[in-house]
Amino acid sequence: MLRTDAWLRRALAIGVSFGLIVAACGGTETTPSPTAATTPGPDDTPAPTEEAKTGGTIYMLTQAEEFDDIDPQRAYTGEDLAFFGATIMRSLTSYIYTDDDAVANTLQPDLATDTGQANDEATEWSFTLRDGLTWEDGSELVCEDVKYGVSRTYANDIIVNGPTYAIQYIDIPDNPVTDEADPNSVFLKAYYGPYDGTGQELFDEAVSCDGKTITFKLNQPVADFNYTVTLGFSPVPDPAIHPDLEDTGEQYTLRPWSNGPYKIDEYTQGNGGHLTLIRNEAWDPASDPVRKAYPDKWQVDFGIDAKVMDQRIIASEGDDAFAIQYGSVQPENLSTVFADPETPNPDFATRATSDFDPFARYYWIDTNKISNVKHRQAMAVALDRDAIRANLGGDYAGALGDGVIKPNLGDQYAPTGMWTDLFGQAIPDTGDPEFAKQLIADSGEPMPALTWDYPQTAVRDQEAAIVVASLGLAGITVTANPIPPGQYYGIVFDDEAAHEFGWAGWGPDWPNASTVIPPLFTDKGGWNLSRVHDEDFVDAVQEAIAELDHDAQAEMWHELNTLAMERVYVIPTTFGLSQTFGGTKVQPLYQWAPYGSWPYAEMYVTP
Amino acid sequence: MVGRSLRQIVWARLRRDRLAMVCLFVLIAYYLIGIFGPILGPSLGLDPYAFDRDSISNQGGRPVLPNGGISGEHPLGVEWGTGRDLLSQLLWGLRISLVVATTATLLTVTIGVVIGIVAGYAGGWVDLLIGRFMDLVLAFPFILIVLALSNVLTDRIIAFGVPPGTPSRIVYLILVISVFGWPYLARIVRGQVISLREREFVEAAVAMGSSRRRILFTEILPNLWAPIIVYTTLLLPAYVGFEAALSFLGVGVIPPDTTFGAMLANSVNYFVQVPIYLFIPGTILAILVVSFNLLGDALRDALDPRVTR
Repeated sequence: MLRTDAWLRRALAIGVSFGLIVAACGGTETTPSPTAATTPGPDDTPAPTEEAKTGGTIYMLTQAEEFDDIDPQRAYTGEDLAFFGATIMRSLTSYIYTDDDAVANTLQPDLATDTGQANDEATEWSFTLRDGLTWEDGSELVCEDVKYGVSRTYANDIIVNGPTYAIQYIDIPDNPVTDEADPNSVFLKAYYGPYDGTGQELFDEAVSCDGKTITFKLNQPVADFNYTVTLGFSPVPDPAIHPDLEDTGEQYTLRPWSNGPYKIDEYTQGNGGHLTLIRNEAWDPASDPVRKAYPDKWQVDFGIDAKVMDQRIIASEGDDAFAIQYGSVQPENLSTVFADPETPNPDFATRATSDFDPFARYYWIDTNKISNVKHRQAMAVALDRDAIRANLGGDYAGALGDGVIKPNLGDQYAPTGMWTDLFGQAIPDTGDPEFAKQLIADSGEPMPALTWDYPQTAVRDQEAAIVVASLGLAGITVTANPIPPGQYYGIVFDDEAAHEFGWAGWGPDWPNASTVIPPLFTDKGGWNLSRVHDEDFVDAVQEAIAELDHDAQAEMWHELNTLAMERVYVIPTTFGLSQTFGGTKVQPLYQWAPYGSWPYAEMYVTP
Repeated sequence: MVGRSLRQIVWARLRRDRLAMVCLFVLIAYYLIGIFGPILGPSLGLDPYAFDRDSISNQGGRPVLPNGGISGEHPLGVEWGTGRDLLSQLLWGLRISLVVATTATLLTVTIGVVIGIVAGYAGGWVDLLIGRFMDLVLAFPFILIVLALSNVLTDRIIAFGVPPGTPSRIVYLILVISVFGWPYLARIVRGQVISLREREFVEAAVAMGSSRRRILFTEILPNLWAPIIVYTTLLLPAYVGFEAALSFLGVGVIPPDTTFGAMLANSVNYFVQVPIYLFIPGTILAILVVSFNLLGDALRDALDPRVTR
């Protein structure tokens, strides 16, 4: 289930100084958002009439040279999911468009007529499709298309890099072929996907269509499965029903068929290339309560240097007035755009935002290589987290983290006490080398020399200097190991090539810690950089996933988050804040909580 | 009447060239600072790895004081984001830059001279083979190869027992710079040797039955010192700049260590806000390179009195 480089390169490109990781959702916020008062919302100015909003082109400027994936079963970068979800790729349920983070993170029906019906154990979920759904050629979008889309996830030889929740949750036995010499062993389940076709009857049994109603049978209770279907469950035309709308397999990611208000007109990759979306005339607004579809056209311009992009949007001349940034403001321009981390400067009052992004940033520690927990605690205690935060932008970089669950996940978050009492005494933000030395002495073993892996950027070169110097004060020898950003995760997921600890970040896939703790600290979900295989922990995670009572489950996540920090599977650094902006004639500009993205479905150009 | 050796003659001429003496003094100063700066620095309160949180803003990491945070405590300012002292970084960086450039120059000259003499004296198919090999080396897209091979070769170097991190990168830089640099000198030497080998004193040595080795290194080599010395003084500044360029492209030393190139690369990010970041390491690098070049010119003049300006 590992994601390979392509989308990571892109994810890193978007993240610029921070680096993004995975498709992500924000969540309900318990702490007041720093920009809640100042973020320009649609209500701040008298809203133009519906007609006045309609028309024009919105331009998106990006450093990337292409999209990682536009295929509904492969797209997994947060900003991409938000953009294509709002334009060409509808799903059974989707999130609400508003700058109120708590509301934005709740579900509304999209292709379905409601947000899903579960049986009492939450092991069987069904969704009923609306009337009037169409593909871009005008043919009807039917239940079988949703089913066909989901089935593609199982062809994990072709449909790669995407979310794999379908494989994880839908009740289909594991692949009986385990002999690695057999080419069929690449498949994870006994169903090999629609291209190969093996095990089709197993899939038909687990996912069935009855008229307009699709039913999923799950292998375990999943209380939040209606959130799961926002990721990788979008329909693809079933070739048996739509012979004209071909599923081109691996190539589908270049030209997927649209069921939303826009369709792909042109897609040229590379520096200077662009993607244009034009109106899909077959789309019926009456069938879609989610998307406003104001502009006539969207144009994504690829390969724009981050510094040039900032300057163009600051100037906001010509078409750049209608441009939005696919990324974040460069650190050196923050003081131009913002008066302080909560307030944009007057010139940018309605077009710059500073808000929590979905990501918790942390350093993973390979628990096989550093198996002595006292050693890991010493590393955490010695680290100068205050200097790291200052280097990332200080107040612009967000708050210091105390775990992997971020406060904007609402009730999923509870303080872990990592820096106050978890290790028996309070740890100052600048680190406590003396206490670290004492922990190493208590461990009974000499501290091994360490190497810190990181994807190289100028800012993280300085972060590396901080890691080396602050651990050095506690007598821990660290060598920094810069890795080209595009290769970073490929290398650190390789047990041989990875070193003792390294940089990482994670954003939950939907606002539940079930998309944080299991992927990070068990082998479910494939982000177990810490190589945790503690049986008691894995058992407790399994128990929490199966817990149907939301409050009880949240309580279990709190405990597991605290336990993971006590054992220092990772060293949390910052709960990130990110700053981004757009041109003078595009509105509304706020960070939409579910993906930390622009609110694409309700954006429009002003005269 | 006492005859003067070539060395005495050259030194006498050089001493009359005031500009050359200034350059020589500057270079000696650079080397002394490079050698003793990091040894004496800590006692003066200089530490390139210490973070001064108070010197940078908590909102964006910009130095609090203008001009990159220049103050009595930090005469050349502090680094954006961390507050590390730039004077200390320059001192420590100068040492690495000089070690890389000097070692690579010595290695290049040794390889170039030996191969050049062999090719020029042997002639025939040996010369042809070496000549084509030099063409091959010169034809490589050098920068691309250095960038592409950095990780692979650094791992190899580590496997030979060089500590990982900065030491292995320094060894890598020295190796690649020398390996791709020697053919230029080898060609010059080869040309000189071809004209020398026909001279009477060489023929006399051959007639007396001297060994080939004696002819090469005792008869011919001393006549080559002039071009070699001049070429060396021109090569060194080129290599200082080269190391900076490679560090700029990201194959240089590993943080927290730094060099001129790494500092210049970093300064580009903040050029609009803090232009002085670019000018300080840039100026210091420029003085070093110009001094070497002027000294090299003066040496050439001193060695070859027929050339007049």
